[in-house]
Amino acid sequence: MPPRLHWNLLQLPSLPGKPRFIVPQCSIRNFGIRSLNPPKPDRFNVGDDLPVLKSTSTAALERKAWTLPPRTGAIAIKKGMTAIYDAETGQRLACTVLQLDRVEVVSHKTREKHGYFAVQVGAGWRHHSNMPKSLVGHFSANGLSPKRHVYEFRVKDESGLLPVGQIINAGWFQEGQYIDARSNTKGKGFAGVMKRHGFHGQDRSHGVSLTHRSLGSAGPSQGGGSRVYPGKKMAGNMGNEQHTEQNLRILRVDPENGLVVVKGAVSGPKGCVVRIQDAIKKPWPEHTSVE
Amino acid sequence: MAAFSPMLRQLGCVRSSLRTRELVQPQIARRALSTVYSARPQPTPLPEKLPEAFLSQLPQRLRPDQEPKKLKIYPPPPSTRAVCRDPIATLTTSQLSVLDPTSERKKLFDYRRNPRSVKVGDILRVTFKNGDPFSGVCLSIRLRGIDTSFLLRNELTRTAVEMSVKLFSPNVKSVEIVERTATRKRRARLYYMRQRKHDVRSVEGTVWHYLRQKTSVTGQVSGGRKKKN
Repeated sequence: MPPRLHWNLLQLPSLPGKPRFIVPQCSIRNFGIRSLNPPKPDRFNVGDDLPVLKSTSTAALERKAWTLPPRTGAIAIKKGMTAIYDAETGQRLACTVLQLDRVEVVSHKTREKHGYFAVQVGAGWRHHSNMPKSLVGHFSANGLSPKRHVYEFRVKDESGLLPVGQIINAGWFQEGQYIDARSNTKGKGFAGVMKRHGFHGQDRSHGVSLTHRSLGSAGPSQGGGSRVYPGKKMAGNMGNEQHTEQNLRILRVDPENGLVVVKGAVSGPKGCVVRIQDAIKKPWPEHTSVE
Repeated sequence: MAAFSPMLRQLGCVRSSLRTRELVQPQIARRALSTVYSARPQPTPLPEKLPEAFLSQLPQRLRPDQEPKKLKIYPPPPSTRAVCRDPIATLTTSQLSVLDPTSERKKLFDYRRNPRSVKVGDILRVTFKNGDPFSGVCLSIRLRGIDTSFLLRNELTRTAVEMSVKLFSPNVKSVEIVERTATRKRRARLYYMRQRKHDVRSVEGTVWHYLRQKTSVTGQVSGGRKKKN
């Protein structure tokens, strides 16, 4: 009796002219806010008297609409701090000087295409040979010069989408209005727990050896699972992380020099990028036209 | 080796020298070949009027419709950074033009350039907008543009008092030099005067004499809160 091949092996060589049936396995990419548990209609939760489900992307956008500014923000560069004397009270106010340099609207993010409304804004200038070609093409397609900094600002709806190529200068903001300033803090490098988290450290003496500035214990022993819990505060890189300074009053606006002077301090070193947008915890300012 | 006869075995030492010459010679020749310059090959141009059916045989980058697109680079708009290089200085100048239009106060405290300026150790009298006067020995002058300030020390009700006065504050009405220091101080900051040994204590007496002299010259009481009758 000759040895018989396994039946699986018999099917291996594919017959020419008869393509194998391929099931598409790749999933379709979704945009926007998605629910982890999308509502599944069944014969029990369908009806006119039932409430509208809130776990949809539309409902999520509606909830978010309360805290989204109606108009876009701008990219500024922190130039340093100085003081301004209040004309009426004579009070000295410490202030930060921000400069808006060639801020332009680059493109839009829309609900239909991307799942949310946002304005992509660019600032500064960079030589096109010094940036990826895909980015040069993006600016070129929108009829703009290559930009050094590109960020997007979320807006409530399509009425907040400024036309592409629109220059946003300092006149976009009004004196007396409030803004939120978003920037990266000064980097502190690898810092110990005392500096990074404000731990108290350990004793100078009483038998403590070589661990005066270190943390005490990293967690419980056998009763706690004999492991370090996630999120345990330890030594590590400190600073250079995004921080938002809320409700900064604008003291002065100088559209000629592109200056916006805000009261108080803004995170980050001199020359860092600061994204400023209308404060979400104050009434929205009256809509101003770009000069 | 078997071909050599025992007679020739004594000539075996010559063999090694012969062999090296054979081996080394081609190596040198090969090495020399690698240094010969050859120009980079130019891409073979495509034949003209190539039918479209053949294009699929070419690699993608050589197909005429797949050539890299020429991107149009647009010029940047006018820059505000070029207009205003130093925003802090711009803001300071614009403020000083309002707060100190004649730059009189700036000169009065610019001890590095103006020889007639206020020096540390002088006794000064400051009048504020609300009428309150304050006098004392100037311990330090801090020149910082719009934030320029000076530190005065006095003794009120037997308690030492120090006040840092912002020079360009709109609340400062006037600054008078009551008495110049007798000798030039060798320090920029006279913080040693806080020590009991060097403390001048109250300067109220000196100020009182100065005010009396001033009243007799001008014939009017200047500054100070007037006593209510």
